[in-house]
Amino acid sequence: MNQINDRSRDIGAFVPAPDDDMIICRCEEITKGEIRKAVHDGMFTLTEIRRYLRTGMGLCQGQTCAKLVKGIVARELNISPAQLEPATSRVPMRPIEMHVLANEGKEDE
Amino acid sequence: MKRYDLIIVGAGPSGLSAAVEAAKRGLKTVVFDENEKPGGQLFKQIHKFFGSKEHKAKIRGFVIGEQLLKEADEAGVEVVLNATVIGLYQDKEVVVRIGEAVHHYKGDAVIIATGASENMVTFEGWTLPGVIGAGAAQTMMNLHGVKPGNKVLMLGSGNVGLVVSFQLLQCGCEVVALVDAAPKVGGYGVHAAKVARTGVPFYLSHTIVKAEGEECVTGVTIAEVDSHFRFIPGTEKHFDVDTICLAVGLSPMSQLLKMAGCEMEDNPKRGGQVPVCDEYGRTSLAGVFVAGDVSGIEEASSAMIEGRMAGIAAAEYLGYMDKEEMDRNLADLDQALDGLRQGMFAPKNRGKDIETTDEGIPVSKNLLKHGFVADEEIERFPGVTHAKGIHPVMECTQNIPCNPCQDACPKHCIRIGSNITALPAVEEGSECVGCGMCVASCSGQAIFLVDETYEEGYASITIPYEFLPLPVVGEKGDALGRDGSRVCEAQIIGVKSIPAFDKTNLLTMKVPAEYAMRARFYKKG
Ligand SMILES: Cc1cc2nc3c(=O)[nH]c(=O)nc-3n(C[C@H](O)[C@H](O)[C@H](O)COP(=O)(O)OP(=O)(O)OC[C@H]3O[C@@H](n4cnc5c(N)ncnc54)[C@H](O)[C@@H]3O)c2cc1C
Ligand code: SF4
Ligand code: SF4
Repeated sequence: MNQINDRSRDIGAFVPAPDDDMIICRCEEITKGEIRKAVHDGMFTLTEIRRYLRTGMGLCQGQTCAKLVKGIVARELNISPAQLEPATSRVPMRPIEMHVLANEGKEDE
Repeated sequence: MKRYDLIIVGAGPSGLSAAVEAAKRGLKTVVFDENEKPGGQLFKQIHKFFGSKEHKAKIRGFVIGEQLLKEADEAGVEVVLNATVIGLYQDKEVVVRIGEAVHHYKGDAVIIATGASENMVTFEGWTLPGVIGAGAAQTMMNLHGVKPGNKVLMLGSGNVGLVVSFQLLQCGCEVVALVDAAPKVGGYGVHAAKVARTGVPFYLSHTIVKAEGEECVTGVTIAEVDSHFRFIPGTEKHFDVDTICLAVGLSPMSQLLKMAGCEMEDNPKRGGQVPVCDEYGRTSLAGVFVAGDVSGIEEASSAMIEGRMAGIAAAEYLGYMDKEEMDRNLADLDQALDGLRQGMFAPKNRGKDIETTDEGIPVSKNLLKHGFVADEEIERFPGVTHAKGIHPVMECTQNIPCNPCQDACPKHCIRIGSNITALPAVEEGSECVGCGMCVASCSGQAIFLVDETYEEGYASITIPYEFLPLPVVGEKGDALGRDGSRVCEAQIIGVKSIPAFDKTNLLTMKVPAEYAMRARFYKKG
């Protein structure tokens, strides 16, 4: 993990690629290029990427893109995906409307 | 806050099995599932399962699901559906959305059995409507009766890709190609062979370049890849399709465990982010257990055993049995699970190149590359013999944990022995009466009855057939070879469907004698 947190590590300059406009996070419409650029902007962890770009924060809560984003960031940092800590899991696990979240059920006993 | 002895998240095969064991021992148990129906993945599985007789082999997945539900009901398990667990806090507080409200429950023990979600891959056009997961295709077909498309390309040659391809064919779709970037078929050879013999071409070492179409998928281009998974220019192939199905693996849905503070690890052998746990599902948090795909991607058969183990371990944790009783209870399950984890596809063999079977027979290279055993390879396997009169031919050529064929034969013609992964062999000196029980019981649809001397110059071949409409006796058509190409003309001389066959129909066709060992499928002329 230390290696990833070392922000002085040189990962080279951002090099545009032909598939940069491919959408990776469909819920928030974030492209591969945006994710790669974010790494060069200094976002080395998945939690940072998530806060910076909102990947995995839409309707499906990262069910589709989490693994894809992880792969892209790892490749950009030139490390194995297993070295990247996944983003924090938080309640609620599934998207939920505010009025439901605020409605504490009355226990039936 | 309502309290339970045991709260289980997920009513799939593992969650329900855990609930049964716990409730039988007196634990007040509740199972929450976010679906409107219980059973998890099982209710989408319309095919007959592998495994041993003791563990539900040759029973169709959804029937196993029904049996499990009945068992849970009898044991007094409370199953709450349309109940999404949105959080797991420390001290085993479970937060559940039911209807328009959020409820909090407290469990003295908790078992997480949330299963897995499908992986995706990206390529140009992957977000077009018409690109779907194989699991989604299965849900559409088998739960909702909706045909996913007309012309389909399948990416992924693991068991999921193979099984779903076959189901797409059964549902009336044309599967134009089965594609995988790996150089070898990932799933069971028998599953591949039953797809290949219908005429579906396999493209190994190929992957999708792009999905074509403006508003939705209208076509797809694939190309060959080199050993570094880079496209080889000039190898592109185009197919007109309206659907692209992705079967590229599953990832454990382990977020609840992570949020509760369980120690986690990234373990590619188990499919991704999984909790660190012992063999009975105990995690790093006392009283929090896991079972099934969420703790490592495997199968429903193993998920059910893991569930039972976790249920028993939870009962012991809460003092409903002592350690001695637990160990006694777990011993049988240990053995069963160990049996399932043997053979060429065992977790310990993943990624290994296996050249020969346990019997020392070279494996079929063609099966791995094209999905079917070549005519010149088939005779070296012990299930394939020649005899006078009708006799079984088992084209089952890999060591897999499966043995229903052995028990199905009333005449003891088929031998696997006590080692469940051994290849089925023809018992010497046995006499086949042609009852067809072996053909119908084979989960891999790999058994055929051959009578090489049926009539002067003609042989008869009986094949398992799970397509509708059924051909009728007297009808003429094409006999297809293992590779799905036409070998000769065939005439249907028998169509048999009896309850004991459990919806596998047996077609008998007459072909010129020289094609007895080549004709393996029938197509209407
Ligand atoms: C196409 C295909 C073919 C297969 N064929 C076979 C086969 O032939 N033989 C075999 O043994 N196995 C087969 N399998 C594998 C098998 O289906 C799975 O391994 C098995 O279902 C795993 O069981 P499980 O109980 O762990 O998870 P699941 O069956 O996935 O059940 C998990 C349950 O948890 C629920 N859940 C998840 N999260 C929440 C939440 N937050 N709140 C509430 N509920 C939640 C889900 O709704 C689901 O009902 C196949 C799988 C697929 C996809
Ligand atoms: S047809 Fe009947 S008798 Fe012959 S091998 Fe099969 S099960 Fe046995
Ligand atoms: S031949 Fe026997 S062991 Fe092989 S798949 Fe069929 S039933 Fe299983």
